[in-house]
Amino acid sequence: VTARGRTGRTGGRTEIQSERPAGDDAAAGRVLIVDDTPFNRQLLARLLRGLGHDPVEAGDGREALARLRDAEAPAIDVILLDIVMPEMDGYEVLAALRDDPALSHIPVIVISGVDELDSVVRCLEMGAADYLPKTVDPAILKARIASSLARKRLHDAERESIDRQAASNEVLAIMSRSAFDLQVVLDAVVRAAVRLCRADYGVAYLLEGDTYRVAASAGGTGELDDWERHHPIGPGRDSVVGRVALIGEAISLDDVLADREYFATPGQQVAGYRTLLGVPIAQDGSVTGVLALTRNEVRPFGDADRALATGFAEQAAIGIANARLLETIERQRGQLARFLSPQVASLVSSPDGEALLAGHRREITAMFCDLRNFTGFSESAEPEEVLGFLRRYHATVGALVVDHEGTLEHFAGDGIMVFFNDPELQADHAARAVRMAVAIRERFAEIGDEWRRRGHVLQVGIGIATGYATMGRIGFEGRYDYGGVGNAIILASRLSGEAAPGEILIAQRTFAALDGAVPAEDAGERQLKGFSRPLGVFRVATEPAAVEQAEAS
Amino acid sequence: VTQPPIDAATFGKLVEMTGGDLEFVDELVDTYLQDGASQIAALEAGAAAGDIDALVRPAHSLKSSSLNLGALVVGELARGLEEAARTGDASDAADQVRAIADAFAAARTSLANERGQRTRG
Repeated sequence: VTARGRTGRTGGRTEIQSERPAGDDAAAGRVLIVDDTPFNRQLLARLLRGLGHDPVEAGDGREALARLRDAEAPAIDVILLDIVMPEMDGYEVLAALRDDPALSHIPVIVISGVDELDSVVRCLEMGAADYLPKTVDPAILKARIASSLARKRLHDAERESIDRQAASNEVLAIMSRSAFDLQVVLDAVVRAAVRLCRADYGVAYLLEGDTYRVAASAGGTGELDDWERHHPIGPGRDSVVGRVALIGEAISLDDVLADREYFATPGQQVAGYRTLLGVPIAQDGSVTGVLALTRNEVRPFGDADRALATGFAEQAAIGIANARLLETIERQRGQLARFLSPQVASLVSSPDGEALLAGHRREITAMFCDLRNFTGFSESAEPEEVLGFLRRYHATVGALVVDHEGTLEHFAGDGIMVFFNDPELQADHAARAVRMAVAIRERFAEIGDEWRRRGHVLQVGIGIATGYATMGRIGFEGRYDYGGVGNAIILASRLSGEAAPGEILIAQRTFAALDGAVPAEDAGERQLKGFSRPLGVFRVATEPAAVEQAEAS
Repeated sequence: VTQPPIDAATFGKLVEMTGGDLEFVDELVDTYLQDGASQIAALEAGAAAGDIDALVRPAHSLKSSSLNLGALVVGELARGLEEAARTGDASDAADQVRAIADAFAAARTSLANERGQRTRG
């Protein structure tokens, strides 16, 4: 919709007057005179014209109905109906109008002689609004027409308001159904705007970089859409879209061809549109898009159209804001995942996340791993070396946690705590924990070799335990962790402390849950700090081959 | 007392209604005479055929335009015929149609005279 235009309100006025005399002036209407006597029609038409109305004549009922049902012809506001007519008389016309939902709302004034009052009563019973004496009296004619016209206007306004309300509700319903699907929202907005503003073509442009590009359109041909899509519009005074972008306000152009500064683009030539309306789609005061509507004839958009289009543009703006919000949430979720385990990150932004964070009891497998003689290393090595080592260690373990879909509770220096089966359920949580531990041990062996060459002996000890724990948000306002409280967690930590360098110790319950998925051997009973009696402990096989074999089977 | 073919007061009101646009009044009169002639032809045909029902509509049409123009004699005669035809009691329809045709001819002459005087004066 490129249209060079100086101002929004030039040209076309006189043309409109002849085309829509009743359009904006509530006191004037288009009156259909249905009378078989040419003398009467001629006289009434003359008088109506004198009152500022636009008379249309029909010689009998059939002709009148044909005119009323002609979708191309401008709508009739009031019908003046004679009763005695050839072809189709007044009663038949009244019956036909009553049965036609598209016409039943048009007020009918019956023309009747004083000697025909019985027929008047019958007509009123059939839905006629009023009657006029056959002996024409201009004062009475004026009053009766004005009253019926007022009634029609009221009805029109009511119907329009209902229609607009319905369309607006439709858009709102679509927005609530697919709030985050911008395309669906924009399509609905443009469709509704075209329909309610009686436009032929509508486009929603969105700002991309420096130019406004077609994001949705309705009513156009493929050729027109194609042209518009390939011709983004920049802000500037040479187009309606550009001008809206420039001043941030609605612009209407009554006739693009009557405007001296208008430059007919191929798009305009393809569509042949004449009248344009552009309203801004604004976000925080800046024009992020433009809703443009066109009409293929010179028929300026009125204030009501402008108000409607503005409303739809606001809905489009909400749609855009929603879509941005979603993007932000997605981005934050992505960023969060770099700090939290992906499981916890998705939990934070999921609908049932709040309930899970509030705390729940669940069977988990906890894995705790820390380094033997890390204290000695950190005292003897340079701080940069220590940090470099930790980065490598964390990166290695972190990647393995992600691979095995564990929930990382914390990194604390050399200690790492990982849960399985929470917040996401994992039927094989014990096996996952043990396999991850085996993988950590293998990868750490490579890192340990490197450091051994530099004179530092670093080895990892791992403990794993399975049991019920209360999981959820732990901490205080401003610093929360996702964690758990339970014996299994303490036991994993104690087993890790108990483990010799390179050893993976698992609790009895974990061993049972493994059910042979990973080979392990009895390591006897151990008396662990904080536990009243000795507990059975198992050791995961040290040969990688044995583990792999068990995994493969 | 015989009524004049055209009632001056009614005709005057018609002229007044048009805002004194005599050119338009002439047009209206022409329409009346033309249409009136065809209604009378329809009445004559109906009467000749003895088709009483066929008299209602032309009589009705002639009545309303005549009364609005001021051709009150034609209007009243047409009203009488319309009512008679409606009730099915139109044994003297042929006489009534003849009387209407005569009154219409008188109205035509009167209207022509009025216009003649106006254009001369």
